[in-house]
Amino acid sequence: MAPVLSVESLNVGLRATNGVTIPVLENLSFSVDQGKTIALVGESGCGKSMTALAIMRLLPEAFVVSSGQIMLDGEDVLAAQMPRLRSLRGNRMSMIFQEPMTALNPLYTVGDQIAEVLRLHRGLGRKDAAEQTLALLKAVQIPAAAERINAYPHQMSGGMRQRVMIAMALACKPKLLIADEPTTALDVTVQAQIFDLLSRLQDQTETAIVLITHDLGAVSELADDVAVLYAGRCIERGRAHEVIERPRHPYTRGLMACVPHLRLGGEASGAPADLDEIPGMVPPLGERDAACAFLPRCVFADEICRSQLQPPLQADDGGHCVSCWRWKEVA
Amino acid sequence: MSVLEVSGGISKPIAPGPKPAASPGRAALRQYLYSLSGIAGAVILLLLVAMTLFGPLIYHVDPLDIVAAPFTPPGSDALLGTDYLGRDVLAGIVYGGKATLTVGAIAALITIVIGVTVGTISGYFGGAADTALVKVIEFFQILPPLLFAMVLVTLFGQTLTTITIAIGAVSWPSAARLTRAEFLRLRGLDYVKSSRAAGATDRHVMLRVILPNALPPIIIAATLAIGVAILFESGLSFLGLGDPNTMSWGLMIGQNRNYVLDGWWTVVFPGTAIFLAVLAISLVGDGFNDAINPRLRRRI
Repeated sequence: MAPVLSVESLNVGLRATNGVTIPVLENLSFSVDQGKTIALVGESGCGKSMTALAIMRLLPEAFVVSSGQIMLDGEDVLAAQMPRLRSLRGNRMSMIFQEPMTALNPLYTVGDQIAEVLRLHRGLGRKDAAEQTLALLKAVQIPAAAERINAYPHQMSGGMRQRVMIAMALACKPKLLIADEPTTALDVTVQAQIFDLLSRLQDQTETAIVLITHDLGAVSELADDVAVLYAGRCIERGRAHEVIERPRHPYTRGLMACVPHLRLGGEASGAPADLDEIPGMVPPLGERDAACAFLPRCVFADEICRSQLQPPLQADDGGHCVSCWRWKEVA
Repeated sequence: MSVLEVSGGISKPIAPGPKPAASPGRAALRQYLYSLSGIAGAVILLLLVAMTLFGPLIYHVDPLDIVAAPFTPPGSDALLGTDYLGRDVLAGIVYGGKATLTVGAIAALITIVIGVTVGTISGYFGGAADTALVKVIEFFQILPPLLFAMVLVTLFGQTLTTITIAIGAVSWPSAARLTRAEFLRLRGLDYVKSSRAAGATDRHVMLRVILPNALPPIIIAATLAIGVAILFESGLSFLGLGDPNTMSWGLMIGQNRNYVLDGWWTVVFPGTAIFLAVLAISLVGDGFNDAINPRLRRRI
């Protein structure tokens, strides 16, 4: 079966005022099947959100897709004309934003905002839309949904608003849902509820999810596949449990080492170990070498790394790809 | 029974949750009625409008007729005195309100309609359209407004219509800049992106998502525009470019300004009328702004 979303060697650039295009995403490829989840992970500034916006064709001004292909359910998204694109957005693919506090319009009730999507894409009347909205609010487990339908966003907590966002995004049963750090702004218990809700709704709707996150715990729970991005390049990709249990790229290994572990019982005695960190910063836009982008921060860097270009993603038999010259020695 | 004893066991939860949907219009009206200043403004405005509409039916004195000696103080001959030509001040106020309020309202309407349209298109689409429209706005803004209005009135005749259009033509650029700035601020917000991600058309995003959120400063600008237009009309009248055949509050002040020390009433009464009108409109604008903001809506 063809994947719901396939991104092929996507290149996104920032067009500077002097006419030069600075690469933002380079040669990004991944795909996701119906009912599956792929997680895009990486530090801030490595291009995760840009990928999401490129798929939705919502890139800010001055950002351009310079080459590559984005296929949604067999349809070329990049070639779609504006009216077609509008009917894809919200209907076949939809997006949840990071900040539930600002992603809802403060002047309309949440019910109105969900109903708007249904009326737009399904052509429902006021009454039918209201009925379905209520069902959706119940589906995202908002308590007292019948009353909440008339609430304004400021009357709801962050977790409730994020549930409303999910209801809005799933209103038309899209093939693809892009969740851009859906829980970053929420506290930990609510995060767990939201992830739980997402995976339950995914089971029902068979929606493919592109999950953008910092939260490696969520990745291991929710994602089927993982793509690790670094400085706009995909440096490791594979089955989620494979990548998490046996990370190959030094950067991925570093990321895993940065996750704090809760120690209980006997382990808890003694001073807490320092958290690991990866020294250095993601190279800023326009200062990315043709060589491996992680080179300046890599403890395993060697002559071969310095003398060669960014290594291609090499796959093993299991489909676990890594972009590192020395991964066999490192892993 | 001990004082500490709680009767009736566990108390019922107090918070009843939001009421079933009141229509937004009704909720806004209820919110409006909570604001004392809003009510005061509405009452003053209604009284002024009622006076200009029904006053002439009751008070049959022609405001352009000479009824007594010049500078007759307020009293039995003329209730609010007479001006430098001996015309009745009360008649001027009763009959002049129509011209003043109409010029103010229509000029402000022209200002806001042109300004908001230009600002919306410019701020939403950006790019070449924005650059071109900003040039147009700047072209109008560098013209001295009073001089430009004077040229228009001189060219096209000293009638109320020309004066109204001239005021609108010189006032819209500031409304356009304001609207454009609001659009630039709002169009990058998450809920605007989210609405585009849900497949909304440009028209929908502009008119139903961004514009309502941009309204508060626009409403303030509109109420100020009415005040400015009323004062502008007085200014033109003072310079001798008013419509001499139509009494207006501005005309009264303009014509009597030189004699303010000889007869304070010739200026103070129409001045008070203008003051009340501008104040009332501002208060109504403020109250309306609060009423349409769901955050301020009380939950009863």
